[in-house]
Amino acid sequence: MTTQVATEEKNYLQEGHTLASWLLTKDHKRIAVLYLISVSFFFLVGSIAAMMVRLELTSPRGVLMSNETYNKAFTAHGAVMIFFFLLVAIPAVFGNFLIPIMIGARDLAFPRLNLLSWYFYMAGGTMFLIAMMSGGVDAGWTFYTPLSSIYSNGQITLALVAAFVSGFSSIFTGVNFIATIHKMRAPGMTWWRLPLYVWSHYAASLIIILGTPVVAITLLLVVFERVAKIGIFSPELGGDPVLFQHMFWFYSHPAVYIMVLPGMAVISEVMACFSRNKVFGYKFVALSSLGIAALGFIVWGHHMFVSSQSMYQGIVFSFTSFLVAVPSAIKVFNWSLTMYKGSVWLASPMIYALGFIGLFTVGGLTGLYLASTGTDVHVTATYFVVAHFHYVMVGGTLLAFLAALHFWWPKMFGVLYPEAIAKWNALLVFIGFNLTFLPQFVVGYLGMPRRYHYYYFAPEFQVYHVMSTLGASALAISLITPAFYLTYSLFKGPKAPPNPWAAKGLEWEACASPPIKHNFHGVPVVVGDVYDYDAEAEERALRGLPPKETH
Amino acid sequence: MAISLNKMNQPQDVVYEQFEDLAQQQETYVIGMWAFLVTEVMFFGVMFMSYVVYRWKYQPYFYALHQELDWRIGGINTFILLLSSFSVALAVHFHQKKKKMQTLACLGFTNLCALAFLVIKMLFEYIPKWNHGHYPGPGFTWDNPNIPGNIAQLWYSLYFGTTGLHGLHVLIGIILFSVLMFMIAVDHPAITDYLPTEMLGLYWHFVDIVWIFLYPLYYLMPK
Amino acid sequence: MSEHASHAHDHSHHITPFFTLVKTLMLLAVLMVVTIAWAQIAPEALKGVPPAMASLINNLIAMGIAFVKAVAVIMIFMGVKYQSHVVKTYAALGFVWFLMMFIMFADYGTRHWESVRGWTPETKQMALPRADEPFEPGMPPRKDIHIPDQHH
Repeated sequence: MTTQVATEEKNYLQEGHTLASWLLTKDHKRIAVLYLISVSFFFLVGSIAAMMVRLELTSPRGVLMSNETYNKAFTAHGAVMIFFFLLVAIPAVFGNFLIPIMIGARDLAFPRLNLLSWYFYMAGGTMFLIAMMSGGVDAGWTFYTPLSSIYSNGQITLALVAAFVSGFSSIFTGVNFIATIHKMRAPGMTWWRLPLYVWSHYAASLIIILGTPVVAITLLLVVFERVAKIGIFSPELGGDPVLFQHMFWFYSHPAVYIMVLPGMAVISEVMACFSRNKVFGYKFVALSSLGIAALGFIVWGHHMFVSSQSMYQGIVFSFTSFLVAVPSAIKVFNWSLTMYKGSVWLASPMIYALGFIGLFTVGGLTGLYLASTGTDVHVTATYFVVAHFHYVMVGGTLLAFLAALHFWWPKMFGVLYPEAIAKWNALLVFIGFNLTFLPQFVVGYLGMPRRYHYYYFAPEFQVYHVMSTLGASALAISLITPAFYLTYSLFKGPKAPPNPWAAKGLEWEACASPPIKHNFHGVPVVVGDVYDYDAEAEERALRGLPPKETH
Repeated sequence: MAISLNKMNQPQDVVYEQFEDLAQQQETYVIGMWAFLVTEVMFFGVMFMSYVVYRWKYQPYFYALHQELDWRIGGINTFILLLSSFSVALAVHFHQKKKKMQTLACLGFTNLCALAFLVIKMLFEYIPKWNHGHYPGPGFTWDNPNIPGNIAQLWYSLYFGTTGLHGLHVLIGIILFSVLMFMIAVDHPAITDYLPTEMLGLYWHFVDIVWIFLYPLYYLMPK
Repeated sequence: MSEHASHAHDHSHHITPFFTLVKTLMLLAVLMVVTIAWAQIAPEALKGVPPAMASLINNLIAMGIAFVKAVAVIMIFMGVKYQSHVVKTYAALGFVWFLMMFIMFADYGTRHWESVRGWTPETKQMALPRADEPFEPGMPPRKDIHIPDQHH
């Protein structure tokens, strides 16, 4: 691959400065930046709702909000974070930006569809914000019937339509990625030379196109029931509300993997670069992504162990849930082994990545407790579950998002951020996160139910909740800080070289920082393997030793 | 600019900037469309799955309820959709040969069929059922003592939900075909090859496939 | 780019011959007539057969014919026969994955194997009882729950 980079050429950020040049762009990199701004906004909205929830729980008597307001707060937190941050953040920002560059293409296959997906996302997000502000939604992000269809007031219909519309945004992105990865690879970029980043995004895209329509139509049926009395899940008509849960979790469990697979994609890249080593067992990591995508579809019933689902079905789902831990474990072990005999460099993306591995492991292992039907009955709908999925979602996806943000920031905007602050901040995220959610395992196991706005029946839980709220405050500070120093670096940061991390891959070696409009001059030709690092040579150079003698 | 009905006057075989050549562009579009159709299959899959679950639960009632539908009207509509599917395939065939007149004629016939499908559905099924009060909701009226009213309402929910979604797809098809026909007729520069026709054709065939399964399930099997 | 470079002969220019399309249409029409005809004669033809078996036979025939029709449409009208393996895979993917949903029948099939207080399989009812139905067979209907009457 060629490394010559023309410095005088305009990069993608300089290709027009008007608002229209951004809002009507078909450049995948600009759309990624649009997405970055919008997901950050929705993350802020979801975080404010989270802080309301945490503040309310500092007191056992629930003094700040009525229970209805509290329901609206946690629904806003859950729905905004899942539909408008976690499902979108990494694929739509970094996937959009990097997949064409990593495979050596000029753009995604369908640039207009890509832009349309951003508009669908914004339309869905705006509708959800209107729903939140004009009455609120109190059914929880799961929208279980008959609560959402018969009993709940407020703007459920609008919120459901918002989720439906944003689902189409996901589908468009997924279709785009699949067509791009299949047909747009540069000469020499075979499947086994694809970065693991692309493999994981391919698997996530498969889940998107197979799962998202299922939840979209299911939510639409609830809209029908509310608007036109077409009651397919209505128990009054002999319908089965559990069928809604089946349909909902048929998508929403795989959706967990839509959230975490792109995170795993990031971690593979970061681990290889900062261990200066090949990813251990490349093919296993690549195929385990597809394994997760496939197995993820046959475990949904573990969300329904106590919802009148058959016990016998529960046993089967319990078994398959244990099974899906295997490919995830393969990934964790392989990342750990990537560091073995590597030359580990504790830069800020690496600290986030190491945090990911630790937290994701805790999240995954506690998932096994929940996958056992017996234990699950005890901890169902308690803070144990809350802590578990936050370890996976926040500890997994959010940390990966931050790792990606720091790793590819010089590539995206051509500037360097203050690394020292970033490192300390990464540590603060890790500490704040654990302080928030570790006590929730304990208080959940002791019996604190989720979605309650008071716990006067057990005032001894207060100490855990106060710890959790303190941790959440630390987490909030550590999540606001990057917004400041990254924005600062945009204006005052030193200019980044094309490859500040000396990393391998087309985006670093054959592409300027920031990239030009069509990414490359001509079509790059790929020779040699992916992750072609040489840890020993780098370690020798670092210590001033002569290069290893070759025979 | 004079518009000829026999010749395609727009620039032909344009390759968009992100692609290397025409062959790559064409296959990418086909893969993308099929990936989208996968989502459509799962979309209707939920409707079919709900139907299967409830028919299995309330089998005798559902068998009796299916007598509410006339297989003749469904059969006519099946044949109309088959014809329209055929004429879309033919439109692609002619567009590939760059025969503008024939392409437009085939697309027009398809649209006519689609319209006929919706009209028949409305006149002979939806409106009579509505007039009898056979629609889910508070106004539902039911006088068959052998079938509980709520099960009948559930059945009608499924019927209206599934055929309604299918009808919506037909309606979208009509709109898209009309736009496409207009663009081909005026030699719009965006139509650079037969792919838009082929993509819409794939969509339309999918709508036909949904009906191919829907028809025996709702109109035939319980007999 | 790499993908199509390896495909020396590209199929996307294939033009399906006119008579292939006509033959496919005729096949579809014939299959349609067959499935309608079977539905009309089935009650007579399957008179002696137990209802469960008759239902199974009807289902298999109707769905089998629908399957063949769908394959014909996909292969010829949609031109998948002339496309690459990737397209063929995606054409099959949705239909195969839809079958995954049938896993939920493991729930519906076994839900009533467990004994639940106040609810026994002997009532022969497939759904959960309505809220106003008696808890046990022989008990009087419940008066404390009101559900609007659907039978007009």
